Amino acid sequence: MKKGILKLVLVISGFAIVNIASAQISDTVASVCAKHFESQFISDGQQYRALLMNTDETAEFHLTLYGGTLYRIAACSGLRDGDLIFSVFDTSPEKNLLFTNKNFKNAPYWDFKITNTLDCIVEAKLDAEGSKSSGRAVVLIGFKQLK
Amino acid sequence: MKLKFRTFKGAFALLSVSAFLAAGCGNNNGKKTVDENPTVVDTSGTIININGELFSIPSPIQTAFLIKGSGAPYSKGIINDPHKSTQYSTNFAKALNLGIYGADLGYVTIYDQSQDAISYLNSAKKLSDGLGISAAFDAATIDRFTKNLGNKDSLLVLVGVAYRASDAYLKTNDRSDVSGLVLAGGWIESLYFTTNIYKTKPSDEVKLRIAEQKLSLQNLIKLLTPYYSQPEYTKFVDNLYDLSTVYDGIEFKYTFVKPTTDAEKKMTTINSKTEVKITPVQIESIAQKIKDIRSQIVG
Repeated sequence: MKKGILKLVLVISGFAIVNIASAQISDTVASVCAKHFESQFISDGQQYRALLMNTDETAEFHLTLYGGTLYRIAACSGLRDGDLIFSVFDTSPEKNLLFTNKNFKNAPYWDFKITNTLDCIVEAKLDAEGSKSSGRAVVLIGFKQLK
Repeated sequence: MKLKFRTFKGAFALLSVSAFLAAGCGNNNGKKTVDENPTVVDTSGTIININGELFSIPSPIQTAFLIKGSGAPYSKGIINDPHKSTQYSTNFAKALNLGIYGADLGYVTIYDQSQDAISYLNSAKKLSDGLGISAAFDAATIDRFTKNLGNKDSLLVLVGVAYRASDAYLKTNDRSDVSGLVLAGGWIESLYFTTNIYKTKPSDEVKLRIAEQKLSLQNLIKLLTPYYSQPEYTKFVDNLYDLSTVYDGIEFKYTFVKPTTDAEKKMTTINSKTEVKITPVQIESIAQKIKDIRSQIVG
């Protein structure tokens, strides 16, 4: 009986530790990511994050980018830049690729000048040729109005 | 392989349950009672994750910029009274109104109304304290805000950072439902701004912005639907569904145009075009429905 209780306590403690560690990892990755635009761009007020368990998994989210706006998308997966590939597609049936940072050495951020409002999809995945086989992906979006 | 979002928490919860089962069945003659390849349940407590998708809601500050740009004068009549913050007693009401005050804070800041900005900041702080998100509007943030009064750009950056901090905190602490409500409040307030401005100062830009909310509304519904069974959410989500029936009738025609990229500037210009057809009847219907939804929130 005592053994059982001890095991249960260990399991709960372990859960609590991983809980805290998970939060700290996300926060750390987010702060690394935020350095790419904090002083110039206004955050959209959200932090997008996903745990990618392997290099085959892709995080995806849908968003509207307003015309007359310059957006910065920053994508990070750890303490160093360059392990995360992010791509932007339109939402047409053809799903046209609008941009991928894979063509630019996995640049951790990129700016998008939007002339007409656009619904699009952002996908993020770990680079199979990078140093990480799994990890926390964090994407941040900032904007500034074009004059 | 298409994505499966999981969190450390979700994965570890499974391990914990597995370990607990193992502990409980530990005397089973050494036989393994835990599946070596268990099905991972996608519990995803710390991220917004519905069918493997994340959902983005545009910042209400962007719409406030559009309104100012349209030449509309500052109007206290379209923002919520900051003194009402004390009357919101449930977490549901606090979260929605935290989003509403965020949009209002952006609006008054863009119109250089410093004193009003302080009032809205304090109201947002009260609500975030009530929701247990004190870190988002801590003393340092308030201090930085006060020191930057008069510097609109810095203030807007600070507002964005504070709301992102609250979003991150809520997701980290398995409160994505509350985070979704804060986003919903901001979105509702910004649509309320645009429909009001369109009545007094109609323009194509503002009309377009009203129509452009179609995807954001869909995202919002997907974000909140997992909590539909909770009584407070049921009526709210039903109201959003009702609003979406009007949006279903708005027509969009998208034409892909190849983007242009300037690698040196790290910038891509998106050249695609979207044409929108929205009728006066649809705008009026949206205006009425958003007014009703908002009035149920702000009281």
